[in-house]
Amino acid sequence: MKKKNQDKREENIDQSQKKSLWHEIIKARWPYFFVSPFYFLFLIFGAFPLVFSFILSFTAWKGTGPLVFNNFNNYKLILSDKVFWQSMENGLILFFMYVPFQTLLACVLAVILNSKRVKWFKFFRTVIFMPYISSMIAAGFVFQLLFGSRNGLFNSILGFFTIPPIPWLDSVWGARFALCALIIWAWLGYNMVIILAGLQTISSELTEAAMIDGANPAQAFFLITIPLLRPVILFCVITSTIGSFNLFGELMSLFHATGGVGPLNAVITPLLAVFGQAFHNFKLGYASTQAYVYFLLIFMVALLQLRFFNKEVD
Amino acid sequence: MKTKIFKVLVGLIILTFVFTACGTPATEAPTIAPTKPPTNETAAPIVALTEAPTEPPTIEEVAPTVAPTEAPKPSGTITLWGWSYDAMQSTGLVDDFQQEYPDIQLDFVKYSSTDTYQNLQLAISAGTGAPDVVQIENSHLAQFVDLGGLLDITDHVQSYIPLMNAYKWVDAVKDGKYYAMPWDSGPVVLYYRRDVFKAAGLSDNPDDVSAMVVTWDKYLETCTTIKDKTGKNCFAFSRANNDARLYEIALWQQGLGYYDKAGNITVDSAENVATLEELGKFWNPMVVSEEQPWTDPWYAELNSPDNSVASIVEASWMGIFLKTWIAGGTAGMWGVAEMPAFAEGQVRASNDGGSTLAISSQSQNPDAAWAFIEFMLGRDNSQLRMFAYTDFLPSLETTYGDALFYEPDTFFASEMTRQIYLKVAKEIPTAYVYGPNYQLMNGYVATAIQEYATGKSSAADALKAAADRIRAETGMP
Repeated sequence: MKKKNQDKREENIDQSQKKSLWHEIIKARWPYFFVSPFYFLFLIFGAFPLVFSFILSFTAWKGTGPLVFNNFNNYKLILSDKVFWQSMENGLILFFMYVPFQTLLACVLAVILNSKRVKWFKFFRTVIFMPYISSMIAAGFVFQLLFGSRNGLFNSILGFFTIPPIPWLDSVWGARFALCALIIWAWLGYNMVIILAGLQTISSELTEAAMIDGANPAQAFFLITIPLLRPVILFCVITSTIGSFNLFGELMSLFHATGGVGPLNAVITPLLAVFGQAFHNFKLGYASTQAYVYFLLIFMVALLQLRFFNKEVD
Repeated sequence: MKTKIFKVLVGLIILTFVFTACGTPATEAPTIAPTKPPTNETAAPIVALTEAPTEPPTIEEVAPTVAPTEAPKPSGTITLWGWSYDAMQSTGLVDDFQQEYPDIQLDFVKYSSTDTYQNLQLAISAGTGAPDVVQIENSHLAQFVDLGGLLDITDHVQSYIPLMNAYKWVDAVKDGKYYAMPWDSGPVVLYYRRDVFKAAGLSDNPDDVSAMVVTWDKYLETCTTIKDKTGKNCFAFSRANNDARLYEIALWQQGLGYYDKAGNITVDSAENVATLEELGKFWNPMVVSEEQPWTDPWYAELNSPDNSVASIVEASWMGIFLKTWIAGGTAGMWGVAEMPAFAEGQVRASNDGGSTLAISSQSQNPDAAWAFIEFMLGRDNSQLRMFAYTDFLPSLETTYGDALFYEPDTFFASEMTRQIYLKVAKEIPTAYVYGPNYQLMNGYVATAIQEYATGKSSAADALKAAADRIRAETGMP
């Protein structure tokens, strides 16, 4: 009897909790209503593809017809897929080619703009941010003109100094270099604005106090500002890491004649490899396998970065 | 008050979001994209060719139609995707069609070839959103036939089967059923700049040039002469960004391909390796330019009055592109000769390019769609008017006796270019370049060519690696 009562009480509590949850939802129905599109869209465009492509990764589906499972064939196939591993390697190479430089440059620019001595602060901030909001397609074409091997602007300038032309877009490293130039041009402003926002939360008293204690501006920058900025920089580095594996628009515009892959697959990224298998070759099953392997690898990299940076904060 | 404004604002933002999410994709600017090489199979000799010029067809003259005028004429709206409809609009064919079928409304959606394929793939996969009529190149046709989603039009095309270039049907057939109607064929010729040949001290007469470049080795000699005498490059043939197109032309010419009749992958066969090595001679010493096809610098070097390449090996449809948006400023400077053979006495014909029209199985109005296709592609008059305007050589062989084939073309210095197109079209051999896996095979082979061209690998090793990968991914032996 006692036990029953207890059960009942628990049930009541449970129910009242449930009730209160519903109550809360009903009470806040307008906010929930307004945020509901996100949940619907997430279910349709986020959760469903996530599950469906996992199932697809075990099939040889081409986009129509029944799902025919082929066990782990796709996963076996990926082990010997030179193009896919080349794309992972490219992501890594591009990461080392532009992320450190871009992040440092963004930090330096942010600090300069943050100092009270700079006039026209808003003007410069706008100018540096501008490329980020301009069309990547247009930018890609302009960079083609700049880096053109025969008639490009840069090679014309080199020719003026009687330096032989560099086959920018016709060689593996030239293509990567041109791509990094485009990425830095386009994304520097974005990273700078984020770091600038982070800087503005750091009280200037800290650096001033350090200066009074005898630190020079460089010491203050590296020993005070940078450590305090670590979470913001971490955000920039992680998004840039994922970004360098996920490059797509930049490639499609700069290397459109080769479908974005560049000379000898020099700049193909995992995203582009997946896209090619899915939308050129109609191998949606294999493309899903690539997507999942790619996801697992990039997920581990992001985890490592988080751990690495957080440790130093501690 | 403030919260109310906030709520209204949020509501508006959501509405905007919902509407933009549901909006239909914007139609892209009309682009005349390059037509890709057509079919792979039986480029069988063309049947029943009338050599002698006959009287030009009258407007009433109509090729045999499958279903003549039965019962009521089809009506309703049909949507058409593709990039070459200008050939029908600028020649007044669309107006004539509307006169014959006043109750059919045509909704042309001009997509580039890439956009057409991508949107079509998604529409077929989604089961909704596909157009009624869609333009598909032979290079991509088998892939879409394999995917499903195209309407079986065997009954309609039955009477046209003997009338069209036989090889054009190969990609349209699956299990004995036909899924597309051929539009144009792509006989490959050598377009050359008369001014450059003259400057190099060579004859610019088409017959002389044909004799001069009788084989690829002789062509190389000519290229070397031009390079030495004028400093100009012979044609565009990129190393690091090679797209395998010219290589495919060279394979097709010899009746080779990426696989054989039995479906065995032949990408790494001795003949294929030898073909690549033959083309590789043009890089050593460099007598070619490295511009990538269909980019601005490539257009520029074709269009330049004084700083151009000397030639381009391409299919007949290149004619309209040269005349209009690529090299409109060079009228009278071009000539058309036969392409080189691999050995003297061998075939000097290949195929690159050519389209078909297909009906989607989602079409609500297949009768109207077929009426359109039949009117445009199945009638001599329509095909000839488009040919006169575009250089898209009709796949419809009943047109081949027309007087148009004997008309001089002013852009090519009054040469009778259509005679050469026709001569080549008759000799195109059987080859297995395309098929359901063409895109995949083209991708791997292009990379192999790039590796060979940049000295990273021998031709044999590069093609072997490509072949192994193609075998693994397609399951073909």
